[in-house]
Amino acid sequence: MSSLREAYRKAQAEWQKIENSEVPLFLVGAATCGRAAGSGEVLEALRSELDARSVEARVIEVGCLGLCSFEPTVVVRKDSAATVCYGNVGPDRIVGILENFVMGDDPCAEWALGKMSPGELDGIGDFYDHPMLRRQVRNVLQNCGLIDPENPYHYLAREGYRGLLRALELGPDRVLEEVKASGLRGRGGAGFPTWQKWEACRNAPGEPKYLICNADEGDPGAFMNRSLIEGDPHAVLEGMLIAAFTLGASQGYIYCRAEYPLALHRLEVAIGQMRDLGLLGQDIEGSGFSFDLTIKKGAGAFVCGEETALIASIEGLRGMPRPRPPYPAVSGLRGKPTVIQNVETLGNLPLILRRGPEWFSQYGSESSKGTKTFALAGKINRTGLIEVTMGITLKDIVYDVGGGIPGGKALKAVQTGGPSGGCIPAEKMDMPVDYESLREAGSMMGSGGMIVLDEDTCAVDMAKYFLSFTQEESCGKCAPCRVGTRAMLSILERIAAGEGEMADLDRLGEMARTVKDASLCGLGQTAPNPVLTTLRYFRKEYEEHIEKRQCGAFVCNRLLRYNIDADRCSGCGACVRACPVDAISGERKKAHVIDQETCVQCGACLTACPDIYAAVYRRSGELVRYEERREKAEKAI
Amino acid sequence: MKLTIDGKTVSAREGETILDCALRHDISIPHLCTHSALPPFGACRLCLVEIEGMRGYPTSCTTPAEDGMVVRTDTEALGGLRRNILSLIMLEHPSACLVCAKRELCDQYRPEAEKAGRTTGCHTCNNKEICDVRVMAEEFGLSELPVPPIYHERPVERSNPFIDRDLNLCILCGRCVRICRHHQEMTAIDFIGRGSKTRIGEAFGRSPYEAGCQFCGACVDVCPTGSLCDRYAKWRGRPERRTATTCLFCNAACALELQSSGGELIGAKAVDETTPICVLGRFAIPEFLYGAGRLRVPVVRADGSLRETQWKEAIEAAAEKLRPYVGSGFALVCDTTSTLQDRYIFRKFAREVMRSENFVEIEPDARGASRVELPPGTKAALLTGDFVDAGQLEPLELLIVQDCYPTPASEHADIVLPVALFPEVDGTLMDVSGRERPLRKACEPPGQARPEWWIVAEIAKAMGAEGFAYDSVATISREVGKSTAELLTERDEAPPAATDVKRRRAYFRGHRIDEKVPGLRELPLDDAPASARRVGVEAESAGGFRIVQKREVAPNIHEIVIEAPGIAKKAQPGQFVIVMVDETSERAPYTLSDWDAEEGTITLVVLEVGHSSRKLTVLREGDRVAHLAGPLGIPAEVDRLGTVVVAGGCYGIGAIIPIARAMREAGNRVIGIVEARSHYLHYFGQKLEAICDELIQTAIDGSMPTKGHAADVIGEKLRAGEKVDRVVVIGCPFMMMLVARETQPFRVKTLAALNSIMLDGTGMCGACRVSVGGKTKFACVDGPFFDAHLIDWDELFTRRRAYAAHEVRAVGRTESVALHACEAHGAGAAR
Ligand SMILES: Cc1cc2nc3c(=O)[nH]c(=O)nc-3n(C[C@H](O)[C@H](O)[C@H](O)COP(=O)(O)O)c2cc1C
Ligand code: SF4
Ligand code: SF4
Ligand code: SF4
Ligand code: FES
Repeated sequence: MSSLREAYRKAQAEWQKIENSEVPLFLVGAATCGRAAGSGEVLEALRSELDARSVEARVIEVGCLGLCSFEPTVVVRKDSAATVCYGNVGPDRIVGILENFVMGDDPCAEWALGKMSPGELDGIGDFYDHPMLRRQVRNVLQNCGLIDPENPYHYLAREGYRGLLRALELGPDRVLEEVKASGLRGRGGAGFPTWQKWEACRNAPGEPKYLICNADEGDPGAFMNRSLIEGDPHAVLEGMLIAAFTLGASQGYIYCRAEYPLALHRLEVAIGQMRDLGLLGQDIEGSGFSFDLTIKKGAGAFVCGEETALIASIEGLRGMPRPRPPYPAVSGLRGKPTVIQNVETLGNLPLILRRGPEWFSQYGSESSKGTKTFALAGKINRTGLIEVTMGITLKDIVYDVGGGIPGGKALKAVQTGGPSGGCIPAEKMDMPVDYESLREAGSMMGSGGMIVLDEDTCAVDMAKYFLSFTQEESCGKCAPCRVGTRAMLSILERIAAGEGEMADLDRLGEMARTVKDASLCGLGQTAPNPVLTTLRYFRKEYEEHIEKRQCGAFVCNRLLRYNIDADRCSGCGACVRACPVDAISGERKKAHVIDQETCVQCGACLTACPDIYAAVYRRSGELVRYEERREKAEKAI
Repeated sequence: MKLTIDGKTVSAREGETILDCALRHDISIPHLCTHSALPPFGACRLCLVEIEGMRGYPTSCTTPAEDGMVVRTDTEALGGLRRNILSLIMLEHPSACLVCAKRELCDQYRPEAEKAGRTTGCHTCNNKEICDVRVMAEEFGLSELPVPPIYHERPVERSNPFIDRDLNLCILCGRCVRICRHHQEMTAIDFIGRGSKTRIGEAFGRSPYEAGCQFCGACVDVCPTGSLCDRYAKWRGRPERRTATTCLFCNAACALELQSSGGELIGAKAVDETTPICVLGRFAIPEFLYGAGRLRVPVVRADGSLRETQWKEAIEAAAEKLRPYVGSGFALVCDTTSTLQDRYIFRKFAREVMRSENFVEIEPDARGASRVELPPGTKAALLTGDFVDAGQLEPLELLIVQDCYPTPASEHADIVLPVALFPEVDGTLMDVSGRERPLRKACEPPGQARPEWWIVAEIAKAMGAEGFAYDSVATISREVGKSTAELLTERDEAPPAATDVKRRRAYFRGHRIDEKVPGLRELPLDDAPASARRVGVEAESAGGFRIVQKREVAPNIHEIVIEAPGIAKKAQPGQFVIVMVDETSERAPYTLSDWDAEEGTITLVVLEVGHSSRKLTVLREGDRVAHLAGPLGIPAEVDRLGTVVVAGGCYGIGAIIPIARAMREAGNRVIGIVEARSHYLHYFGQKLEAICDELIQTAIDGSMPTKGHAADVIGEKLRAGEKVDRVVVIGCPFMMMLVARETQPFRVKTLAALNSIMLDGTGMCGACRVSVGGKTKFACVDGPFFDAHLIDWDELFTRRRAYAAHEVRAVGRTESVALHACEAHGAGAAR
């Protein structure tokens, strides 16, 4: 009982070591993404260099700051007056930083993303004024990248488990009221008001009640949940305690995909620490509330993120959804009332309890309160894991946070909600990002995938891409989803191959509506969204594919014709050697020609043709496209 | 609880789903995955409804009825959705026949399904005559598919000794998986894979037995498509009669529905669909009844050898020979698998006529075995089965056996009398708990076999006894004072063998059941280790004709190249050869699709439709066929005529090639028109393209650019005024008839090749008899080409159907043997 209070005391001491460290401190972003970017080598170089120079320092592996395009990142604290965050830190840079900044006076401003300490520092701006961070509000992610995720005292020092303590004090009914007042809605996809699920579960007969944390995160390209767990696991676990206490649930499960080994490790470590602190088991903190937790590894099927499939999977059955009602809140795991909540939803709960519902609801729009994390990716200058207030416009995300489109290209659309969402065209960038607006636009919030598409993206190709994902991930149970996604895909394929007819567009629309209306679970019900939105916003492109056999983005291979510009061709024969089907002929030093009948549109000639000639050009329908390489090559000369 | 469905107020029971409630009140809602014996699943999505206050379209099979609900089942939106859903389901099902424009005409000419390896449409589906999906498609007015259907190209799985699985038909309704889980508490089969690769099967590639299959056959009974079927009954179509009776293989007394056609038993299934029955009841009865050697005729020993005779003579002989033993040394031995009425007569006969106390009734043991020793001093015995060791029979002065199959005792006997078995008789039996259960006659006994009571009563009468003038089982029952027994239609627990196939009975009246039912030999018995005895047929002789090349060019259609230099040298367009796969095979004619005189090879296109063609198509490259005769038949006449249409369907797509080529070489403009039910059944497109001046490939289901039959295309051309000087057509009779109908009004001479109706190709069997212009011809010697306008098509179809029924019966019996042969060859793709 007193153990938590004691732990808080110890936590203050631990945190002091960070805040007022007598020795230099290195916080190396070493979550999955940081590791992939090379933080392992950075750590190695740093440690051996410290050894070699006999410099005493503290090196901590932390979670992710969300600055993907700047990974690996390292925060270096020389002393409390000089703390700098560096980006794109390789082994050389870390040695440079050690030499020049830690051991010298030069803070290496050219590598710095910003300073985290007050006061002036050699022209380095404030970290939180960095363009990528200026518009962000990091609430849920507040600890990520700044604390040691495997040290419980760091979490405790930053108000950890205070939310739980307050909840225990308030009692379940008032917690429910606070969550209701906060306006919190599910972050896993559909945005269902959290309190409503809780109330239904509380009112449902049947014991025990179960709480499940959905950490299945199956959208391709989404990693918000993984990041949060890797960077701040206790935040999610505290959220689970608060929810379980309110529901009267005695057993909890965390369903996490097996492809997340680091997240699973962090959870295991954190759960062990909770046990040590008396935060799991019988009579937690003398409140009479008892709770325990089990981790379940998912095999990585996208559909297992769907609530009823997830339950089946935990029960040891094939992960196949079942129709609702009955809803899991009434009859879920083993037929008992069960609440399933997304990682991020849970991560918000400690904050709501600690700071109050009004604090929470000051962020966000009328219907969508709080902040939301997104995995910003695609054709954008600054990719990363961001957290913004709901209601922010897409434009602000793309241009302010993301820094716009690279290469001076034009923005075409933003895909939210992963394969279940839709694309929102450039004209609609003033749209606020909230549950309702996104749904109205034909997309959805989803769990937070956000892919930026530029003018080189083909709408037909994109619909094809997402549909081939859902088509493969469909569990195969219900006919509309299993067959419908495949049938839609086959229509898209024939349009992309220039074999479509105008009637295909009506067929596609009709089929999409059938799949949406008749599928059993969310996977099938949302799978047509990419098709429906591209049809809605980019119908002209579809028509061009069909009527002109033209792909304006030069993506759909079968609609491209490779040609050689006789004026540019020098007859060097590079393309002849590259062509896998011997489609190119021509005498040496004379212009070559491509036999269109034989050509398989592989593009090998285009690549093979030397930059100075760049004689190969492409045609699609009425459009002609030359590569820019020649101009560049000429300039270079 | 009251709710409104389509404006009608109905009352619902607690926990009832909307669908159940609606059906109970005669409001129909389409449904496919739901089955009365199973919990709802919600997969097919056809039972969608609209409910006031609920978003979207909930499935009525899973949504519980609630007080005050307002449900609509028939709005326009629902109708459209349902049709779209069904058309999606049909994209993964061989659905060409369902959307075919000539469906009605086709059904009129060939209502029964035709055999095929893999099913590629209703026309070749064993389920055709009893199919709910078909009915539903018709009700929905399904007439086209949004995109070309997908054929999974899966081999027919035959690893289960009793069940064929053709997953090309499976619509993944999950009924089989669910009934398996329900009946066996574990699933021998489950969904495997994801997305469009999802299929039904045993996990980890295990065999059915390894996966836990107990061969209760419930999956076959709930499958709404032809995907799962009882191999024996596969091509029997809709049974003419269904009889509810009791199984007598053991005393669990399961209630069975026995199915028969033409007095012959074809199948069995459980009456109570919620409890499984065992492999013997579900699968073993027909084969046990019609096994080789079944006793059919009374036999009497005269001058040391057994001689077939008539009942009258046999009964008199028995009476004569028994008379000396009245009151001395007679014993009658039976077991409790004889009915109560039979046994009453046995006892009465022993006591009152023979004045003997030695009436021995055996209760079979758990394995079904019934062995006894004869009472001391027995000199004359009447046995109703194989109960007594041979050593004890030697010293007997008189032995009369009444039985169903020969045994050591019957070999030894003075008189052998054929008995009718339990599906062939009425009566009453006693189950394991002492309750009486009824036996009802479901089919005719074979040959002269008679009920047991009848035989003994006849002997008694011949011996001059009074009180044996029974004319039916009912009269005996009345004398015994039996009330009517009831079927055991509901039971709390399945009989032991239904959930553990090892615990089934091995014997019936002393006969090994698996001797008559080969499939059982693959399944272990408790006391006997699994003896997977496989009757392998090795390609034994090095003689015969070697297969040089073989591939399946489309489902069921195999291109086979055989070394036959003699034939290759002489072959002419339109001729055929006769193949005998091995010494015992039927003779089967196949048209020459190509030949190469230099290489010395001939090419056949073989459609896998029946026993003979399967035997041929399971062979592999390097294997040999025993006999090959040809070239036979009168070659097609090839002249310079102008424009010639060559039309082909099925194997005919391959078979018209030589004619098309010859016509082209003779200077004609050749238009090739080939038809198939769906895009995936087309083959040889490139080959034909090279030969024909114009090639049109049609698909009946609209999955190719040209929709419809070849006949439609020809008709269109003629109506458009195109000049055609000759039509040559090879395909199934239906296709050729349609072509003939189109060309007749334009008087375009049309030759049809009647190869497909031949059986042995020698003019001997007469199967290929046709009336052409009022004269009788034999397709195999006078043909194969005839003037299609002179052929009496109606007569041809009638004759075909009679022969088809005959063939089906033959296949049923040989099927198991064929299976073993196929497996020995590892030919997984065999039908
Ligand atoms: C096909 C499918 C996949 C899903 N995958 C996830 C997932 O990976 N993570 C998640 O939190 N929710 C996922 N969801 C949403 C969940 O079903 C559910 O709405 C969520 O767990 C509820 O939690 P929340 O209310 O906290 O959002 C998925 C839904 C569908 C239909
Ligand atoms: S909608 Fe798709 S994923 Fe969901 S149950 Fe149906 S087939 Fe399975
Ligand atoms: S199961 Fe057979 S009969 Fe029924 S629709 Fe399918 S192919 Fe036709
Ligand atoms: S095999 Fe038959 S019962 Fe089983 S899922 Fe397929 S169609 Fe349904
Ligand atoms: S019957 Fe309801 S979904 Fe199939």
